[in-house]
Amino acid sequence: MSTLDDRAAGGAEGRAAAARVGIGGPVGSGKTALIEALIPVLHERGVDLAVVTNDLVTREDAERLRRSGLIDPQRVSAVEAGACPHTVIREDPTLNIAAGDELEVRFPGVELILFESGGDNLASTFSLDLVDWWIFVIDVAGGDDIPRKKGPGTLRCDLLVINKQDLAPHVGVALPRMVEEARAVRGQRPVILTDARRGAGVAEVADTMLKAVLF
Amino acid sequence: MLLVDRVLGNRLDDGLADRLHHMEHHGTVEWLVLPAAELARRRFRALTNRGAEVAVALPRDEPLTDGAVLLLEPDRAIVVRVDAERWLRLTPLDLATALELGYHVGNLHWRVRFEATSIEVALEGPEETYRARLAALGLDTRVETRLLQPDEAPC
Repeated sequence: MSTLDDRAAGGAEGRAAAARVGIGGPVGSGKTALIEALIPVLHERGVDLAVVTNDLVTREDAERLRRSGLIDPQRVSAVEAGACPHTVIREDPTLNIAAGDELEVRFPGVELILFESGGDNLASTFSLDLVDWWIFVIDVAGGDDIPRKKGPGTLRCDLLVINKQDLAPHVGVALPRMVEEARAVRGQRPVILTDARRGAGVAEVADTMLKAVLF
Repeated sequence: MLLVDRVLGNRLDDGLADRLHHMEHHGTVEWLVLPAAELARRRFRALTNRGAEVAVALPRDEPLTDGAVLLLEPDRAIVVRVDAERWLRLTPLDLATALELGYHVGNLHWRVRFEATSIEVALEGPEETYRARLAALGLDTRVETRLLQPDEAPC
C-alpha cells in the first residue's frame, strides 16, 4: 500500500485534465448548431476550447465546424464511428478518449473539450469514462411526446436541452406541457430551452456547463 | 468552495489509517458520499455530509475509489464513501426465456454481470422501472426477480 509520504514524494506529475463534456441527441436535433452557438459564448468567457465530432462514416460535422470560422480548424478532431454512434461514446469510447488526449497534447492549455456524438436515438448515453458531464439535445419538431417516452438519454443526461423552441407554434407542439413533462421525468436535473440558430438560451447552457465542470 | 485536484491516498493506507481513525473519534472527518456509477467522473461538484461544497478536478489517470482521502488537515479531513450499488437478480424459468431475456437486456443496454443461471442488473434508477420494463416485455411471469442485499452485491 502507498503512504501519504510516498504520494507526496511522487510529486504532482498529474494535473487536472481539461474538462470533457458530451453533447448527444437524435439526428437533426441541433447538436452541431448548439456547438456553433456555444463557441463564441465560451470564447467570450475566456475558455480555451477544442471539439471532437463523431459521424457514422464521414467527417461532415467536423468539416462544418472547421469551415465555420468560429474556431481554429486545428482544434476540431473527427472520429468516424463506423457503427451505431453510441458504441464509440459508451460501450467502447477509446477512439474518442484518444482524440481528446491528442488534443490536450497539441494544445496544452486547453480547458474544455466538447464531444459531439453522431445523431442517435433516445437510448443514447455517454460513458463517464469519456466525459465528466453531458448534454442531451432534443428538439420541439421531433414531437412533444419525447420526454414522456423516458429514453435513457433524456433521463440520465446532466442537462436536457430542448432546441428549436421557436418552431413550437408551427408544428403544433404545446411547449409548456413538453417542458413540464421533461422536468417531471428528470426530477431536479436541469432542462433548458434553446433556439440555437438565434442564440436564445445558449448563454444559460454555457453557464450551466461551466459551473458544473470548470472551477 | 474547496477545490480538490489530487487524491492524497486511501483511508486504509499506512500512515493515514491511524490518523483518520483518531480524527473520526474527534468528529473531524467529513464524508463525500458518491454513487458507484458516478466514480468515473474526473470533474464534478458535490456536498459533504456536513454541507460543504467540494469541486473535484482530477487528472484522467487518477482513480477515485471508496476511501479516497481528498483533504487532510490537522483538524479536518474529507474522505470518499461509495454508496453501495444496487443489483437486481433476474432468473429465467426456462431456456427459451433465458434467450429472450438475454436479447432484451442487451437491447436495453442494461449493465449486467452473469451468474450461473441468472443475470444481475446494476440498477441506475428505481427498481420499479426495471420491473415495469420486464412486465411490458411479457417477461415478468417467466423471470424471477430479487433485489440483492448489500452483502450479496459484487465487489
